Amino acid sequence: MKQFWRRYRKNRAAVGGLVVVALITMIAIAGPYFHPVDPFDMVGRPYSPPFGEFPLGTDVSGRDILAGIIRGAPVSLLIGVVASLVATIIGVALGSVAGYYGGFIDDALMRTTEFFLTIPSFILAVVIVAIFAPTVYTITAAIAAVSWPSVARLVRGEFIAQREREYVQASRALGMPDWEIILVQILPNALAPVIVVSTLMVATAILTESGLSFLGLGDPNHVSWGYMIGVARTALRVAWWMTAIPGLMIVVAVIAINLAGEGLNDALNPKLRER
Amino acid sequence: MNLRTIITTTAAAAVLLGAATLPAWAQKKGGTLAFSYQPEPSALSTIATTAVPTALVSTKIFESLLEYKGPQLDPQPGLAESWTMSPDGLTYTFKLRGDVKWHDGKPFTSKDVKFSVEKLIAPMHSRGKVYFGSLDTVETPDARTVVFKLKKPVPYFLKAFQPTESPMHPEHILGSLDFSDAKNVRQSEFMSKPIGTGPFKFKEWKKGSHVVLERNPDYWKKDRPYLDQVIFRAIPDGAARAIALETGEIDLAPMNAVPQADIARLGKLKHIQLSNDGAEGLGPLLWLEINLREKPLSDKRVRQAISMAIDRKKVVDVMWYGQGKPARGPLVSGNPLYDKSLKPFEYNLKKANELLDQAGYKRGAGGVRFKITQHFTPYGESFQRLAEYTKNELGKIGIQVETQSADMGGWLKAVYTDWSYDMTNNFTHNYSDPAIGTQRAFVSSNIRKGASFTNSMGYKNERIDQLFETSGVEIDPAKRKAQYAEIQKILADELPVIFLVEIAYSHLWNKRVHGLITNGISMYSNWDSVWVD
Amino acid sequence: MLRFILRRLLQLVPVLLAIATLNFFLLQIAPGDAADIIAGQSGHATPEFVAALRAEFGLDQPMWKQYLLYLGKLVTLDLGYSFQYQLPVTSLIADRLPATLLLMVPSLLIAVGLGVVLGVIASRRRGGWVDSVVSIGALVVYATPVFWLGLMLIVLFSIQLGWLPSGGIADVREGNTGLAHVLDVAHHLVLPVITMALFYVAIYTRLMRASMLEVYSLDFITTARAKGVPEGGIAWRHAARNALLPVVTLAGLQFGHLLGGSVLVETVFGWPGLGRLVFDSLLQRDLNLLLGILFVSSVVVVIANLLADLTYGVLDPRIVHK
Repeated sequence: MKQFWRRYRKNRAAVGGLVVVALITMIAIAGPYFHPVDPFDMVGRPYSPPFGEFPLGTDVSGRDILAGIIRGAPVSLLIGVVASLVATIIGVALGSVAGYYGGFIDDALMRTTEFFLTIPSFILAVVIVAIFAPTVYTITAAIAAVSWPSVARLVRGEFIAQREREYVQASRALGMPDWEIILVQILPNALAPVIVVSTLMVATAILTESGLSFLGLGDPNHVSWGYMIGVARTALRVAWWMTAIPGLMIVVAVIAINLAGEGLNDALNPKLRER
Repeated sequence: MNLRTIITTTAAAAVLLGAATLPAWAQKKGGTLAFSYQPEPSALSTIATTAVPTALVSTKIFESLLEYKGPQLDPQPGLAESWTMSPDGLTYTFKLRGDVKWHDGKPFTSKDVKFSVEKLIAPMHSRGKVYFGSLDTVETPDARTVVFKLKKPVPYFLKAFQPTESPMHPEHILGSLDFSDAKNVRQSEFMSKPIGTGPFKFKEWKKGSHVVLERNPDYWKKDRPYLDQVIFRAIPDGAARAIALETGEIDLAPMNAVPQADIARLGKLKHIQLSNDGAEGLGPLLWLEINLREKPLSDKRVRQAISMAIDRKKVVDVMWYGQGKPARGPLVSGNPLYDKSLKPFEYNLKKANELLDQAGYKRGAGGVRFKITQHFTPYGESFQRLAEYTKNELGKIGIQVETQSADMGGWLKAVYTDWSYDMTNNFTHNYSDPAIGTQRAFVSSNIRKGASFTNSMGYKNERIDQLFETSGVEIDPAKRKAQYAEIQKILADELPVIFLVEIAYSHLWNKRVHGLITNGISMYSNWDSVWVD
Repeated sequence: MLRFILRRLLQLVPVLLAIATLNFFLLQIAPGDAADIIAGQSGHATPEFVAALRAEFGLDQPMWKQYLLYLGKLVTLDLGYSFQYQLPVTSLIADRLPATLLLMVPSLLIAVGLGVVLGVIASRRRGGWVDSVVSIGALVVYATPVFWLGLMLIVLFSIQLGWLPSGGIADVREGNTGLAHVLDVAHHLVLPVITMALFYVAIYTRLMRASMLEVYSLDFITTARAKGVPEGGIAWRHAARNALLPVVTLAGLQFGHLLGGSVLVETVFGWPGLGRLVFDSLLQRDLNLLLGILFVSSVVVVIANLLADLTYGVLDPRIVHK
């Protein structure tokens, strides 16, 4: 662990990314105590510019934009993290089984994966959310449903590479059950790239969520950054900052997560560092 | 009447007269009027659908027997040059003009009227049953005479002959269709290549782009229309429509065709005219529809508290950018039957809290009295903003609201098919007579699953049912007005729905266009006397 | 070659069947149907009217019958009838597909072209400031939501500077024809294409850079260097050609992703293509239309993959299509 951190620290950009992610997380957790304003409450005149009575101005309905940014942070982050986690679990489960057993199971599972890669994923997410009505849960589920195939492919590849190794053969010779070999023996060895991919997937999930919210497919009970952009869009000509502020937050968050993820990649795969 | 009022009235009359008798040189012939609305029409006849875009385009092509003047839609001669009603209100006789031709040159006769009403309008038009449900027979003693015999009086029968409601269709083209299946009519080629008698002829429809109508040179009104072309442009994005109007790419954005946020801004531009007039015959009204089947919403005091928790002025100013005014009851103030003695609804959070206390809903953990869910109509952003506002305001009086988002299909199903909603904002029309648009939402006989824009609340009030029934066949205008005054008082007190706002239908046009606003259904009129500089 | 294409086309059949099945059942779950919508739009419908509509569209049939009916029609390329537009779905899609392709193909070409060039440049100056600028730029663009980028470009180029139109495919009033029309469309195309392309420029730059670095470490480059081939020649003639392979594969695979992006970009710019139609048909619950679009867009993706495979063969002569 110490060694891991030492290697991680070498990548200054990655450390910066991690700091920003930590900052956003803190805003998400502590923000509401320091700025206890309901993001749906009409607190002032609509269209107030930033740096006046309200630090970031008000939106089309006279609601505090800063409050929206703060309350939107946990929504965007949670959806990103949970969707990525669910997608990773599905992907690992299917990918490991396919890679370990090969043959018919592999064929069937990989056809399914390819099938999901063929359907335009964002359109599929739109369809799923629209059909099941947008709530935090359906949005998370939809993003997970279109994200798992890439994990499954990756894990399958790792398992195929590992399954004929000596340690696996030895475990088999010892009569270890398949599930144990998969979970206890091979999986830990295949985990490093999976962690990297699912970290980066958090960033993609945040982007997807913002796209859905922008189209009006967000949970109406929660503010999210994408939703704020969608609301502000009608005011683009007269109040561009309303659109710009939440968009910048998304950009910053996604960059930070990407940098942190790349740092993880470097620290977990020292061999690849040279690239 | 003192001298001052006499002078002002005379001055006003002079202005009105002046407007009516503009010098002839003011109207210019020729030119094109381009307008846009979203979505693009799905058909070009209101027999197929009465959705707004279809109504906007088809009314230039198709005419009905009458034309209408003024905000209250006084009937005028149209395809019928005169008409009479029997004293018992059961027989209407129309005398048709003899010089009207279809766009393909064939003469228009009483046979076409009988065909249109019996085969198309009564069975297929979405409001056909309302106007012609009591129709007994249509007789055509000669080519220029049509006699409608009714089973019982229909006081608003003369409102039936608006171009959207009873468009005349040519029998010589459509008569050969198989009418056993509505599909044969709705999907016929005619619906996208229409032939009517109106001032404009169909020329071209390029799907996803535009519909072009051109001047009908053989129109029965001499020297009309003024315009050479009327063009519908499909511009799916609201902001893009606003820009198109601003830059002069289109001349007209009718009936809130640009986003609310842009209406006031555009209206201030030097070359753009903003008007909220000319839609009195539609009477758009915004309310919160409430499911009355269960407690606590079945309690009148709870509904009155909800009503008091909403600042209608703020709703108009913020969500509708100042276009509209607070409602006082089920009828819009421009309706001829509107009761002027109605009081404005109060905005008073303190009183609302007291009412809820009285009703026995004490604040519990977190200050919450009870929880409900709400939907919002998928018509546009203002409705979602309104739902967000409602949720927030009701939170202040201890009602916790969870908002559920649904698309059109999901919303209609929750509200009208399953009755599985608690509260939803809704947007309805009075139409030219409350018997058409208002009655359907409040009579208990209209508590019918699966029928949209009916009494989804489950509201039952015998007095209301009785009043609607008697006024539905009452041909004495004064008596009818009194009956409607009582209806309005009861509904404003019991609040089966929370009446919110008379939404304005805002029209924006380039000032080079003249003569658009002529009556209460101006955008659904045939524009034969509209001209451009 | 021909047999390879034929075989690939044959492989399509089960995929298409699966797509059709999935779409059909997904949309069966949806609350409310087209009859509800039309009745709702009409503003005043009786239950009889709704029932008649339902019968008209076959919505009163049992689900398995509707499914078989759908599959049967699919075979004859009949994608059904759009409730909302009262038009055959096939003709609606045919109307909209060109606009989407007009947006996607230039975007993809620019993305691949610019991505390759930037990737090669960055890899040659690895660690230098050019590399840093390109890498950071790619990361920032990659992290930017595509619709937000589009909105910001509108603010800058349409609202502030007034150089470019903010939406639509052509000037609505002018009614240009011939060359004027082409130029007009091109003018309207600039912002959406930039918006669409930038994200993928970022992706291909990063991929190309990584791919180049890998190729540089291979033996044949060392051999070429030993033979005295100039560095520029090595980069462009030898290395880039090999490094392109993963880019081409990805470009094929990402056609679907691009189609997804077109929903957002077309919404932002009011572009009258398939992406916008997806959203409109969803809100109107236009079942047949939505099924048709998902089906057609999946077919487009499969064809794009096939083209990518063929390009792959051209670039890498070692691959022979049997």
